[in-house]
Amino acid sequence: MSDRMMPEPILKMEDVSMRYGDGPEILSNINLALPRGSFHFLTGKSGAGKTTLLSMMYLAQKPTSGRVSIFGSNVNFTNRSSLAMSRRRIGVVFQDFRLLDHVSAFDNVALPLRVCGMNEKEIGIRVNELLKWVEIKRSTSSLTSTLSGGEKQRVAIARAVINRPDFLLADEPTGNVDSDIATKLMKLFVELNKLGTTVVIATHNENLIREFHYPQIHLHNHGVAIIPAGRIEDVAGI
Amino acid sequence: MLQGFRSLRHRELPLSKDSSNLFLKIMISIAVFLFAVTLSGVLSVNSMLVNWNYSILGSLTVQIVPFNDADRQKALEETLEQQQKVVALLEAMPEVERVVPLNDEQLQKLLNPWLGDDVNIADLPMPRLVDVKLKKGADVDYDLLTEKIANIAPQASLDNHKLWLNKLINLASGLKMLALSVLLLVVGVTSGAIFYTTQTSLGLHKDVIEILHLMGAKDTYVAQQYAFRTAWLGFVGGVIGVCVAVPAILLIARMAQQIEGGIINEMSLSPRSWLVIISLPLFSALIAMQTAYYTVKHTLERMM
Repeated sequence: MSDRMMPEPILKMEDVSMRYGDGPEILSNINLALPRGSFHFLTGKSGAGKTTLLSMMYLAQKPTSGRVSIFGSNVNFTNRSSLAMSRRRIGVVFQDFRLLDHVSAFDNVALPLRVCGMNEKEIGIRVNELLKWVEIKRSTSSLTSTLSGGEKQRVAIARAVINRPDFLLADEPTGNVDSDIATKLMKLFVELNKLGTTVVIATHNENLIREFHYPQIHLHNHGVAIIPAGRIEDVAGI
Repeated sequence: MLQGFRSLRHRELPLSKDSSNLFLKIMISIAVFLFAVTLSGVLSVNSMLVNWNYSILGSLTVQIVPFNDADRQKALEETLEQQQKVVALLEAMPEVERVVPLNDEQLQKLLNPWLGDDVNIADLPMPRLVDVKLKKGADVDYDLLTEKIANIAPQASLDNHKLWLNKLINLASGLKMLALSVLLLVVGVTSGAIFYTTQTSLGLHKDVIEILHLMGAKDTYVAQQYAFRTAWLGFVGGVIGVCVAVPAILLIARMAQQIEGGIINEMSLSPRSWLVIISLPLFSALIAMQTAYYTVKHTLERMM
């Protein structure tokens, strides 16, 4: 198949390097292309640069050098307004949740819809339905700061998927929940993937990788390697 | 705009808890108080200038000075005779609307502020005065008129008030410019305070703003939340400032009216001027809103 016939990847990284200030390079010459509708685990040792790589994927940071293209646009030459529009198509589950503690679980989940200007009636229906699905049993008007770690994680996941993103990124999304909920949440990601969402999940959880047969983007020695689905033995040191 | 009202209902940024809110409210109250008092001064001086200008263009005074000091009765007769001639001349002019020769009682009233009530005017070598009101837009040749008056009343002199009123108008115009500079300064200092408190607040809420950005919020979404919050502070501060300013303006006006001489007591505010002063909270809200909005937009543009 010629290049012209290939569907454009949702994310493309070419010779991407990243360092913080004058520090050492966290990532060196990364070349990566994620096809639309793909599902990958992101693995690597602690400190390998998973969070840094994810932060470039969800457009929180620009690379020190190299080119990152998302939805066909080069991030380096995208204006602020277009960046915001691209971010609306990305759902992110942060490792530290990054919820707004001073507002309710409902308002946290509603946030991506509100910034898009959706009407409150539609927001109410979609948010309540999703909060029920992720089993937030307490009053959804409770401040987020009063929720448990597991509840916060589920609220964070609900916020990431509420606007049915084209690209879903999750940093250890099942770290604070029990195995039943973890499986249920993973099934949600799989369902979204079946509907066309491209998914990248950073995880240390070998059971998860074993249970769900998807390829890995493995970070090692500041570089990246794609490991085919099911080859757990290759995930050294995760 | 609709999205702006929505963001007013749902404030993701906890701006109501900012410690700078109280400072900003007090600052805006003081600024609006100063603005209202200065503005009332500008508007009063403005109305005074209009009145004075109208006086210059619309009136003149003829003064007939008695010459014969030795025979006061003769001097009085001479001046009265010349006064009648001048009145007749002026009444015949088409540009003149009204001619009023001032009688003893009116002259006595004019002297009251300086000499008191106990003075007998007949004992003084008083000049006779003729107050002339010109028609609106009348174009009078003052040199020709002076010549005509001098022919029939050699002791008469014509005063069209221009010289001293021009000096007063120059002074008033200078005061007006000074007051306008103060108004600009007040607006500038307040906008500066809003600019720096908004920037401080942006630093305090950096984490929340980052989350909003990552969720796809544009800078305008954040700016609207700041704009509405600061507009509210501007409005509340403005109301407090006006509430304090109105009694102060009334007090100053009352004090001005007690000054005798008929110059300062022309300083009064029209209902329209009062309307402008009472609507100042809306202006302060608008300025606060615009300043906060553009500060946020300008500051965020420097972030990724």
